[in-house]
Amino acid sequence: MAIKFDQPFYSLSDETEQNRIIELWEAEKHGGLWEANNRLPLPLTFLMALIVLTAFMMTMPIWGQRPTAHDFVEHVALMDTPEIQAIEDPVAKMARVHEIAYQRADSRVKASLERHPITWDDLLNIAPEIKEAQASGKYPLDYYSVLADTIVLANFEGNPTADGSPERKQPWWDKGYTIDVFYVTYFFIFAFFVCKRLPHFSRKPDMSSAK
Amino acid sequence: MLIKYLFAKNEDIPAGSSSVFFGFSAIFWFVVGTGLGSFNAAKLAFPDWVTGSEMFAFGHMRQVHVLAVILGWISMAFAMTMMYMTPALGNTKLWSEKLGLWNAFLWNVGLSIGLFLLWMGITSGREYSDLIWPVDIIIFFGVLLPLGINVWMTIAHRRTQGIYITNWFFGACVFMIMVVFAVGQSPELFNLTGLTEAYMTFWFAHNVLGLWITPVAAAIAYYTIPKLTGNPLYSHRIGHLHFWSIIAFYSTPASHHLMSAPLPEWLKSFASVEGVLILIPAVAFVANILLTMKGKWSMFVENIETKFSITGVLLAIPLNMQGGFQQTRAINWYIHGTGWIVAHAHLALLGMSTFLEIAAVYFGLQQILRRKLYSLALANFHYWFVLIGFCIYWISMTIAGLIQGAGKIYEVPYIDVVVAEHPYMIARWVGGTMVFTGNLVWLYNMYMTAREGTVVPAGRYAHEMAYER
Repeated sequence: MAIKFDQPFYSLSDETEQNRIIELWEAEKHGGLWEANNRLPLPLTFLMALIVLTAFMMTMPIWGQRPTAHDFVEHVALMDTPEIQAIEDPVAKMARVHEIAYQRADSRVKASLERHPITWDDLLNIAPEIKEAQASGKYPLDYYSVLADTIVLANFEGNPTADGSPERKQPWWDKGYTIDVFYVTYFFIFAFFVCKRLPHFSRKPDMSSAK
Repeated sequence: MLIKYLFAKNEDIPAGSSSVFFGFSAIFWFVVGTGLGSFNAAKLAFPDWVTGSEMFAFGHMRQVHVLAVILGWISMAFAMTMMYMTPALGNTKLWSEKLGLWNAFLWNVGLSIGLFLLWMGITSGREYSDLIWPVDIIIFFGVLLPLGINVWMTIAHRRTQGIYITNWFFGACVFMIMVVFAVGQSPELFNLTGLTEAYMTFWFAHNVLGLWITPVAAAIAYYTIPKLTGNPLYSHRIGHLHFWSIIAFYSTPASHHLMSAPLPEWLKSFASVEGVLILIPAVAFVANILLTMKGKWSMFVENIETKFSITGVLLAIPLNMQGGFQQTRAINWYIHGTGWIVAHAHLALLGMSTFLEIAAVYFGLQQILRRKLYSLALANFHYWFVLIGFCIYWISMTIAGLIQGAGKIYEVPYIDVVVAEHPYMIARWVGGTMVFTGNLVWLYNMYMTAREGTVVPAGRYAHEMAYER
């Protein structure tokens, strides 16, 4: 059962252990079945690595961010302009507001506006709340999430600010990711040990005498 | 017929009796479950279909369909395969045929009581954990515990030193489902409410899929494909990778079902990464089985059990691609709470899992009964009706889900979305009814196999013999 580390990518088992496993392998048929000692094909190894990379890249909280009050400040400002006031149809009003606000927005806000369209009625509801939050100045506007026709102070515990309090906005990295890094690392170390304790894949069991 | 053995001595009970009991029970519940599915789908396609009675309201019938399929068809088919594969893989007998028969008997009784109560509207009100706690106790002590004892004791009394990969999964999964079931029902026993209840409910729902339905279905394929093809399983070490990555990555991402709930964001981040990593066991499983098929691909066309098995394995690819990515924040935002999820759930249960189980039930019943399948033509009818019916269902519900997602995001009035998805609801009913019809034919075919199938001589496999019909 000794573990050897002189050729870790060949096998972590010593010769005696490898022979013992192969002999057992060759002696037994499980209800007429047996297993070959083939390697994980190289393309699959790369696919595994790609999956891990994708898992982190695709799930980062920068994707799927919730809309914040900050995203709609321009909309609120535009509501009372003569141009918008002159339009009667609420759908047309909103379309024009959106068009102008979208042009003025930076790329990050643009993405959020595309993903979270709101109606004129929603805007009428959130506008006083956004103005109140602006006037109070207690928190930055991007600390407030827009939930349909209301805004609420987000419950995120993001990165620490200068005074030590946490930001109330979704961080691009959080402790869930840190846990994942360790968890995935431990898994692959464990999986490496489990697989490399087996005889090297070049040693094919001869099943002709299996019972 | 098998009931008479309930009070017989264990040594007087023919080997395989409990497997046959479970096998026919499973097919029966599959017919019931898909029949209810067809009925419920008709209610969505034709709103005037059977109205005026609470008992036949969609809200009563939906969970009866779901649990008839999960606890009746899928889990009993698993029990059926465990009753014959576990001893075969250890070159031994089942530890107790009598326990197996009582297990099957209590399972049918407990499930009948549970489904009747659900039908009457007596429910815990939590999705997938709908049964009330007294029935939960019957399920735990009458269904899961005896199954576990029989599987573990058979493995412990095996006459091989090594344990084949199928038995790793069987032994581990019956343990995990007990833990998952006991913990998952706790919100009712401990009166948990709010977010805690929601989290526990979906912790249960996720793990029933991840630690029971998909891994046991995969374990079955590890038996059937090498057995049918005569090829050795391609790689023992890929089997290790599959098994341990299921344990590591499928047990952890339950909160990805609640990405829009006010759970801690870090927990969602953690779960979301793990959710994508579910692709690792999926890739390992699919690769191992498809590489085992080397040189035997003609059997995919010629052999009915292989046809079902490999279709199930191939369906694991879209299943895991969907499952891995649909839970990420960006995609979940769009498809959460839509028919897309219903389509995905059916891809798991009626697609990947069911096809693998059907193959194992076909194979196992022929072997145990020592009878060649009664009719290949009926079996092929079954295959094509289930496959085409499933595809119609899956595709139509996926499209309906995308329509609902667009309607949700762009605040389209609800009734407009209902009108837009109506054709797909009709297609859903057509697909589901095809599956039901195929299963009726299957039940008849297996009944006739037991009665009039050609006797398989000792030492031969049924699939090696030529069909006579």
